[in-house]
Amino acid sequence: MQYEFRVDGEVVEVTVGKKGEDWVLSGNNASIMTDGRIKVEMSDGTIHFAHSAKVGDTWWIHLSGHIFCIERIEPGATQDQGDASLSAPMPGKILQVLVKKGQKVEPGQALMILEAMKMEHRIVASEEGIINSIFFSEGDQVQQGVPLLEMD
Amino acid sequence: MVSNVLVANRGEIACRILRACSEAGLSSIAIYADNDANSLFVELATKSVRLEGESITDTYLNQQQILKIAKENGADAIHPGFGFLSERADFAQAVIDSGLTWIGPSAMAIEKMGDKMTARTTMKAAGVPVIPGEEIEQEDAEEALEAIRESSQRVGFPLLLKASSGGGGKGMRVVNSPDELDDAVSGARREAIAAFGDGRVYVERLLTGSKHVEIQILADKHGRTIHLGERECSVQRRHQKVFEEAPCPTMTPQLRERMGKAAILAAQAVDYVGAGTVEFLLASSGEFFFLEMNTRIQVEHPVTEMVTGVDIVREQIRIASGEPMSCGELIIRGHSIEVRLYAEDATNNFLPAIGPLVVFQPPVGPGVRLDTGVRQGDEVTPNYDPMLAKLVVWAPSREEALQRMRRALDEFVVLGTTTNIRFLRELCDQEDVINGSTDTTLIDRVWPNGWKPNVPKELLNAGLMIAGISESSGKHRKTNSESQTIEGPISPFSTISRRFP
Repeated sequence: MQYEFRVDGEVVEVTVGKKGEDWVLSGNNASIMTDGRIKVEMSDGTIHFAHSAKVGDTWWIHLSGHIFCIERIEPGATQDQGDASLSAPMPGKILQVLVKKGQKVEPGQALMILEAMKMEHRIVASEEGIINSIFFSEGDQVQQGVPLLEMD
Repeated sequence: MVSNVLVANRGEIACRILRACSEAGLSSIAIYADNDANSLFVELATKSVRLEGESITDTYLNQQQILKIAKENGADAIHPGFGFLSERADFAQAVIDSGLTWIGPSAMAIEKMGDKMTARTTMKAAGVPVIPGEEIEQEDAEEALEAIRESSQRVGFPLLLKASSGGGGKGMRVVNSPDELDDAVSGARREAIAAFGDGRVYVERLLTGSKHVEIQILADKHGRTIHLGERECSVQRRHQKVFEEAPCPTMTPQLRERMGKAAILAAQAVDYVGAGTVEFLLASSGEFFFLEMNTRIQVEHPVTEMVTGVDIVREQIRIASGEPMSCGELIIRGHSIEVRLYAEDATNNFLPAIGPLVVFQPPVGPGVRLDTGVRQGDEVTPNYDPMLAKLVVWAPSREEALQRMRRALDEFVVLGTTTNIRFLRELCDQEDVINGSTDTTLIDRVWPNGWKPNVPKELLNAGLMIAGISESSGKHRKTNSESQTIEGPISPFSTISRRFP
């Protein structure tokens, strides 16, 4: 079976094959255990027991002390992810808007201050650009994930 | 006498105290807000009573309602845990005034230590060294700013602004140069007003490269005040501790003796009763300075319990009942480390995270202790503190304890919510952590541009394979609805290919 996944912003196509009860990929063998975990025999001979669970479109995988969040891209889905850094990371209240529409900003520049869980969080520009929209003003309550600003 | 304890808290610490009550043969009462109706701590009490109201102010901070519940349900003592009402002198007094036993120090002790500026003054008077700095008495924002500007000239940069009512890193700002001062003052004041309703901020010199070392104190009503040795809690992010250990790796018996004496002096200066912690900064010169005293049980108390064998919560209850503390001569045995497991994104400035705990499988085995308030299936919400659990290990030596912690963190499986587990695991591999050369700047020094997990490529590929198998096998569907197995077709081709956006 072939799937498209997104991991750390990178899109990866994965095709796993099945040989009897075992799954194969690039010299790794795996089988599903009765408790739902997946036993992986790596090409170097080491054996790991992985946990996986799906939340929304994302597979959460624990493998050998590492945790991966791997998002399934459904066939035909649009590639538009938006700029995650300019959306509210938590539900909270806008304390300050530090920029104006049309303003040029540098990477690392603070754009807004959001209060969530009684702490202040800075919304920071990840790259150089011009602010073309500001969706909220000081004192507004925002939900997690809503876009706060838009940059060009 | 204490026979029925109301625990005025929630989550992990409520579980810890309710279990201690059960172990002491006492009845207990849990109080819970609606959004905690299914939380673990509610199950651990003899009786649990719902709090009316929605906000924290209306529930866990609602003194009137909590006292009413205590009276109506026959409680004879209240344990406040940490956070919430634990350091509210007015609540301690109200509990005592209504004829109940307060499991903690007197309202006077809480008040003197709770206001950080008053605490500094009290300690100076008792002969305990304090960090060079100045109290700022002005309450008006403009006047305070002016006073801080003047004070900053005398204290020097870099300096630290601290909220007088502060705690948990709230209302605290590092100021490296004079041009950052005004913004930092307004930020600190704003945060302090929001969190504590008190915007007073004072100035301390920033002692970089220092260790955060604290002494655990126990004092009973029979005139005995002892210290249980130190904990080192230098490794912090956002001014909150994440990695704590006992003993401090650089401690000497002589220094422990001196710091222990200073801590006992501090406690005696306020006629302290119960369990408390005196926090110090230990400079690389070997000088130590009073930071603050926490007049309550502390998050990291388990590491002291592991190396001394003293059950601190049990002693709190015993002391509050008027009994002498049960511990005799203490010896420090082996080494203990605690890490705080937070729902937070360590790759993004440790921002709190929320989500379901689809899998929550803590490690077990020798020398491992887990204090938590959650279990598999719970939801992490933005309503409360994002600390999920404290993972504590004990071993005969520090080296073995660190290795046991690595093992335990590797076994700890949490899926569905972003946590700092991997960050903590990689922290255990840092040279300065291995050497015990930890100080309060460690995280910023080791990861100046933020932390990113170090993932071997083969492991990520195996992870992708597991995602593919999980998707193919219809594994997720089995948990949600009727089993509807999808067999993956047998393919001679198995590939992995990357495309960059």
